[in-house]
Amino acid sequence: MTESYTPLVVRDLHKSFNGNPVLEGLSLEAHVGDVITLIGSSGSGKSTFLRCMNLLEIPNEGDVIVHGEPVKFCVKRGERHPADWKQVERIRGKLSMVFQGFNLWAHMTLIGNVIEAPVHVLGLSKKEARERGMALLERVGLADRADYFPAQLSGGQAQRGAIARALAMEPEVMLFDEPTSALDPELVGDVLKVMRELADEGRTMVVVTHEMDFARDVSSQVIYLHKGQIAEAGKPGDILEKPGTPQLKQFLGPRF
Amino acid sequence: MPINFYGYGPRLLEGALLTAELAVLSLILALALGLLAASAKLSRSGPLRVLATIYSTAIRGVPELVLMMLLFYGGQIGVNMLTDRINAWAGTDYFINLNPFAAGVITLGVIYGAYMCETFRGAFLAVDSGQIEAAKAYGMSEWLAFRRVRFPLMMRHALPGLNNNWMVLLKATALVSIIGLTDMVRIADQATKATHLPFLFLIPVGLGYLAITTVSEIGVAWLRRRYDTGFNTDGA
Ligand SMILES: Nc1ncnc2c1ncn2[C@@H]1O[C@H](COP(=O)(O)OP(=O)(O)OP(=O)(O)O)[C@@H](O)[C@H]1O
Ligand SMILES: [Mg+2]
Repeated sequence: MTESYTPLVVRDLHKSFNGNPVLEGLSLEAHVGDVITLIGSSGSGKSTFLRCMNLLEIPNEGDVIVHGEPVKFCVKRGERHPADWKQVERIRGKLSMVFQGFNLWAHMTLIGNVIEAPVHVLGLSKKEARERGMALLERVGLADRADYFPAQLSGGQAQRGAIARALAMEPEVMLFDEPTSALDPELVGDVLKVMRELADEGRTMVVVTHEMDFARDVSSQVIYLHKGQIAEAGKPGDILEKPGTPQLKQFLGPRF
Repeated sequence: MPINFYGYGPRLLEGALLTAELAVLSLILALALGLLAASAKLSRSGPLRVLATIYSTAIRGVPELVLMMLLFYGGQIGVNMLTDRINAWAGTDYFINLNPFAAGVITLGVIYGAYMCETFRGAFLAVDSGQIEAAKAYGMSEWLAFRRVRFPLMMRHALPGLNNNWMVLLKATALVSIIGLTDMVRIADQATKATHLPFLFLIPVGLGYLAITTVSEIGVAWLRRRYDTGFNTDGA
């Protein structure tokens, strides 16, 4: 076993778009079972930070180390690129992402979505992937919706389905980008419940969220981003109850 | 009572077969070229984008008839220049006659590839980028993501336009008679001139085109259903 490796380490990450710096030196360490929540106002760089972790954005500087394996970069014509896309694909397979807009593949049934990457990326047999996929759909309460298409699901169902799709990869770390922000208020609870269960069973998760109750109850660490920098980080009890910076006080609202 | 075609019946059928073959082969070439050119246009590589843009713009801006003559006669001259060189160098005496059928397929394929390119390009752009992103996020390679996600989602948007291009291509096959191919229009023309009975020959020709489009409509309807899966959700 390689238990000794940290699932995800990010070191001194910088990212700019067209010369505008968006992330300025962010670091993070997710150990097994950690739930790290990223909070911050709109435009502070939460999504970009998350997307750098699975290389949907290529950081201009800094390291991403997944399960002890640093992503290799090279510089071509002054621009930084991954040196080995095969490595990137492999690493992405270990970091399942759940999107704000679900992004379920519209032309596949729910179970088709769940088994797609396990079959075609991990090389599982259809039969095995299906068995595992059905068990996951059962877990998120969607066994009876397996043969529905995404367009036939409610937002909450679609997001729980997307979580099942993420789980099917048996990822090292799950990345969530505001998974409940696109949902009607009455559907948020079901999705958060599933996420709480995942946290309870010791999954390693990095979650961008505006759900402060979730952040308070579930996280092992809260990171507050402000203008592309980590303004505060620590235990939720400290960060959310005794905010140090005026920005975080303002962000958390009238209580402070 | 069998209709008397004055002995042109079998040739008319041969012409119809040639039209169908020409159309189908040109379609396959046009789809392949269109897909390639659209991918080039949407690629990150500057030179590829420029090349594909020149191709689709230049071809679509010139009449089919002119292009066909240009490619056929120009092509023959090009081939001749090449064989002359080889002959001069090797002391041989080769001559390659450009096959009009192949020339027809290539010309129509190249021309309609430019139209297909635009249809594909628009359809690729209409695909929700989040779906592609999800494919990448789950470790799919470019090719796998293309095959499993980008292409099937794109086809739904492309089908109406592709079908339209196909109809125009089918009718443009009649132009090949100018480069010496005896398609069904050319046979009907010859027969009409000989017998002075235009309706006798031109109505069957019209029906021949209709037969081809009818068969293709069935195929298109099948493709529509296939690529509409998951979108047209009232039925499931
Ligand atoms: N592809 C891009 N091109 C240019 N600028 C971008 C791009 N993606 C993000 N940005 C910019 O980077 C900054 C951070 O964006 P990001 O989406 O990471 O913020 P966020 O914290 O997730 O905000 P929100 O809470 O609204 O989702 C913003 O100013 C945004 O305009
Ligand atoms: Mg965001």
